[in-house]
Order: sequence, then structure tokens, then C-alpha cells
Amino acid sequence: MTALPFAWRSLVRQPARAALGILGVAAVGALLLDMLLLSDGLVTSMRDMLERTGFDIRVTATGDLPQGGNRIAQASKAMADFATLPEVERVMAIRFADGTVETAPGADTAGADAARAPAEDDPTQGPPRANEAFVSIQAIAGKGQQPWTVLSGRDATGPLEVVVSQATAEQLRLPIGTAVPLRARCQSGSGALPATTVRVVGLVEFPLALGEHVIGSSMATLDTVCGSNTADEAEAILVRATGDVEQAANALRRARPDLRPLTNDQVLGRVQRTGFTYFQQISAVLTTVTLGFAMLLITVLLTVSVNQRLGEIAALRALGFTRGRVVADVLCESALIVGLGGVLSLPLGLALARLLDNILKAMPGIPGALHFFVFEPQALAWHAGLLTATAILAALYPMRLVARLPIAATLRSEVVS
Amino acid sequence: MSGHGPRATGDWPQAAGADGSRHLIVQADHVSRVFEMPSGDVVAVRDVSLDIAAGDYVAVQGPSGCGKSTLLHMLGCVDTPSTGSLLFEGRDVAALSDRERSLLRLRSIGFVFQRFFLLPMLTAAENVELPQSEAGVAAAARQARTRELLHYVGLAARADHRPSQLSGGEMQRVAIARALANTPRLLLADEPTGELDQATGQHVADLLDRVNRDGTALVIVTHDTTLAARASRVVLLRDGSVEREETR
Repeated sequence: MTALPFAWRSLVRQPARAALGILGVAAVGALLLDMLLLSDGLVTSMRDMLERTGFDIRVTATGDLPQGGNRIAQASKAMADFATLPEVERVMAIRFADGTVETAPGADTAGADAARAPAEDDPTQGPPRANEAFVSIQAIAGKGQQPWTVLSGRDATGPLEVVVSQATAEQLRLPIGTAVPLRARCQSGSGALPATTVRVVGLVEFPLALGEHVIGSSMATLDTVCGSNTADEAEAILVRATGDVEQAANALRRARPDLRPLTNDQVLGRVQRTGFTYFQQISAVLTTVTLGFAMLLITVLLTVSVNQRLGEIAALRALGFTRGRVVADVLCESALIVGLGGVLSLPLGLALARLLDNILKAMPGIPGALHFFVFEPQALAWHAGLLTATAILAALYPMRLVARLPIAATLRSEVVS
Repeated sequence: MSGHGPRATGDWPQAAGADGSRHLIVQADHVSRVFEMPSGDVVAVRDVSLDIAAGDYVAVQGPSGCGKSTLLHMLGCVDTPSTGSLLFEGRDVAALSDRERSLLRLRSIGFVFQRFFLLPMLTAAENVELPQSEAGVAAAARQARTRELLHYVGLAARADHRPSQLSGGEMQRVAIARALANTPRLLLADEPTGELDQATGQHVADLLDRVNRDGTALVIVTHDTTLAARASRVVLLRDGSVEREETR
């Protein structure tokens, strides 16, 4: 009987102890998996969201992330400058604005109010009127695929057509075909503008939308809603490269040294440095704690088990079992506890991750497509590696006990006891 | 019990060679064993010289704490002498590594313990198979050997029983079968009847007699004078030293 089956028989000899160990590792393993999914989940999800928009580079006026700095002036000229570059496949300007829509009676506007409460120092904005809800507007100019995904209906291509997010359509009761009065805050003093009726033509997913209720339209529609007095400005110009993204970014820099192109990787790096580092730090601390707990649990269980079997182990040594063999038995026992617990931890961890993800995504202002816990095969490899290391570390002390067991003294003391 | 012996091969050296010389398995020459204790050194075995030859049946007797078990552990290469030399089939045990001593025990020495130390999660047959498996015996051969040994100790029908389903005497018989699993040259038994009632102890003693008759050298440590009386040689220890040695 080799070490592994022998360890299995030793393990099942005390089913309650074995179950305790395996369940303990399963619980710890589930938490570990979740920490691993969390540590890279936001970055992975963010990368996915950036790539789903279909653009590789975001050009801004100041190098800040869109909505984080000044707008690009004379956006049309900048677009034209970029469109002529051979490294550029297509360009699109995007502009953000806040607004309100008049909703049907019974629409759920509570979340929208909370999410988009106006700044206190803005005299042009007041609380929404009865049956009004705040919305975020994304207006785009340019040809080709829009930076959102149409789920049903069609894209807003005609005048005074808008698309809305699924949540907006459901909560504000704006199904496809609805005509809805939209009032936009385009620039200082525009709060007094009358509402313009726009028509919902499609339900879409906005990968990067931060508001709870989001409306998408063409730049022309936004201009109309704003009373045709919007400046030729954009928060960002989105660029899709024909080939190498870095080369395209350099070409953009050369063409317009006054603007700041950011590749998706640079955006990710910036977001990671400013926002996601906390999640990674929390994840690292909790991972260390959970692994420490797992190690202690297994060490205690194995040590108790070994101490209960000292006489047997000494007898096996007297019968000719080598030191390496009895050490291997303990290591295999640890591996079995951790292996079985680790396998159990996978469905448990994934279910827990889904639950936690739903809880976190319910927070206001979180883009619908953003996930905190994202499964990647790499996380599974880390999970297995860390649990293997834990199994080995946890077995060190009990292995040392059996390796240094004085055979004769133990046999004597067993008889005396 | 079956009439055939526990050794399938029967190729051990005879107790006496053609020239009358004895084949020595163990040669202990002025061995002592000192344990360092916080209160000072304790001499468990003092200057003992003892030879064990093939076919010998030696009983070691003496009061509690006189060093019987310590001597047995040294003879069985579980422990090494502090001074003196101990040769097992001509090899200096003290010069062997821990692994070499383990393999020597596995292949050449059998142990029977007072408390049996059968593994409770294994059946009787699996307990007997275990040392063979460790010695690398092929599955078919060790299963055949296990059947033979369980038959030899009269427990063929109990092969699939776990130790908890066996009586004390049966457990000790399984332990003897396990000790014989790798056809050892020397069988060491430490109080083999210590946990058994008189009748059961007699059966175990009969079995040990038979093991010796079938050619295995046997050293037993016992307080039981009736068991010791079965031995061809009795070594009386007192305070770690040989007080008297009787040959019958």
C-alpha cells in the first residue's frame, strides 16, 4: 500500500475529523478563490468593457480620463485631423451631458434622483420636477459602430432619436417607440430651456456608463435638445487603430500635440493605480489571512492525528518503514484534505462570487457591465498553487514530529501509558 | 493450525553449519545504553554481551526497569548502543544510516509488540500485507504470502476482519503473521502475552514455539515464567547487566 492510499485510509478512519478538515479547507478555499477573482476582476472587467466599445485610444484635452477634465475644443477639426492618418481606422467624438426626462406616472425615479443629484453650487439646476428623472446623456459624432451595444430595436441615427439602457427603459417606463420630453443641461444657464421631445428607438448596453439612467443620442440630437447653442466640444475622441495601437497613439500625438491620447492599456493602468489598488490590497490581506487560517486548521488537525497515532507510527518504523515513508504518509494526508477541500471550494467560491458581485453591482453609479469578480483560468492556477503550498506548509510540523519520532522511547512510553 | 511453516522458501542458514559452527545473526559485544536525563545519565543497559544464532529461542527476563526492552530494541536495530558494538549478520548497526537500519528491520527482523499495534483501519490481511508492500513484494506474491501466514496462525477465516472485530489473542496472532511477513531471520517479541489472559497467552506461546521450530530465531522479553520456560536460553537482567544466563 503506497503512501496515498494509506493516507486515505488514515483519513477516513476518523470521518468526523476528516470532514471537519475538508469542509474547513473548502470554506477557506472558497474565500481564497473569491479574493483571487476580486484582485484582478475589476481590471479584467474594465479591460473587457473598454474593448467592447470597439475603440483602442481615447484622446482628451488634458490627459485626464473622460469626464475628468476639460473638453476638447473644436472637436470636429480634431476628428478631421485624426481621420486622415493612415494609422487610424475611424474616429468618433463623445460628449456627456446631464438632463432630465419627463416620465410616465408610476415610473421609479428614486434611484435616478439619488444617483444623479445636482451639485449644490449649480444655480441652473434644481431638483427634478414631479414625474421627472435625472439621466446621463452620451452624445456621439462620427460614423461606424457606436460605443454601445444595441440589445433590441435599432441605433439612434435619425434626428431626435435616442437609445436607452435596459434599466432606464424598465425603471422610467421608456419602451421602444416612446416619445419622451428631454431637457438637457448643456452649458451654464441652459437649465431654463424647454424640453424637447425625443423618441426611444432602441435598448442598448452602455459598457462604460457610470449613471444609473443613461440615454444615448447623436451629437446633432443633443445640439437640438440644447437649443442649437452647443459649442463644438467633446469630452473625448475615440479612435480605432488600423494596426499597432502604440504606433497609432504616437501618430495622434504628432498630429495634435495639444491633445493627449490614452490607449486602453494606459486607461487601465491609470484606473488601476487610482482606484483598483485598494481592492487588490484588501484582496492580498484577506488572502494571506485565509491561507494562514487554512494552514493553522490543517496543522492542528494533522498534529492531533499524528499525536494520537504515535505508537502506531513507532511500530511501523520498528517494522521497517523508513522515515521518508512515514513523512510521506503525513504529507499525503495533508494533500488529501487540501485537495478534496480545494475541489469543493470551487463551486462554493464561484457561487459566493456571484452573490457578492450582485451585491456590489447594486451600488449606485456602477456600470452595468462592470464585474468585481471575474473568473479567469489564471485565478484557478493561483488557487491550486496557493492551496498546494498551504498543504505543504501545514504538514511541515506534523512531518517533523514523525520524522524525529524516537522509536524505542515511543514504544516504551506507549506500553507504560 | 497448519503443519507447514511460515517460510515459503526455507533457504535460511541452518543453526549449525556442517563444521558445527553457529550462524550468528546478532552479536552484541559489551553494549551499553545510556540515556541522558535532566537529573543525570541513566544506564539502561550495562556492558551486555549476547549472541543470537539462527534457530535460537532466547527469553530475556528481569524486574521492571532492568533494561529488557532497551536491550530488545538494540537487538532489533531500533536503537543503537551508546558504547560497545552490535553486529547484525556481520554489519555494524551503529555505522548504518537510519534508512539502512529501516530496510534491515523490514527485511530481516520481525517485531511483535505487547499492544499489537495493528492498524485499525486495515483488515487483518491488509495488516499482514503492509510490510510486504513496503518491501516491494508484487501484489500476487504478497497476497499468496498473506493467505499462507493467516492460515499458519489459524486466522484464515478472519482475513477480512478489522482489528476491532478480533479478540486480543487473535490480534496478537495477526501481529505475529505481520512480523513474519517478510520472512525475517529474527523475530523479537516484547511481552507478547502481556495483554492476554492465561489461556490465550498459551495459544500465542504455542504459536511462537512453532515459529521457532520452523527455523526463525526468536527473542522474547517477558515477565511470564511459563513463557520464558519454553525458551532454549534465558537471560536474566538486573539493573541493566546480565545477572545470569541459563541454557536448556
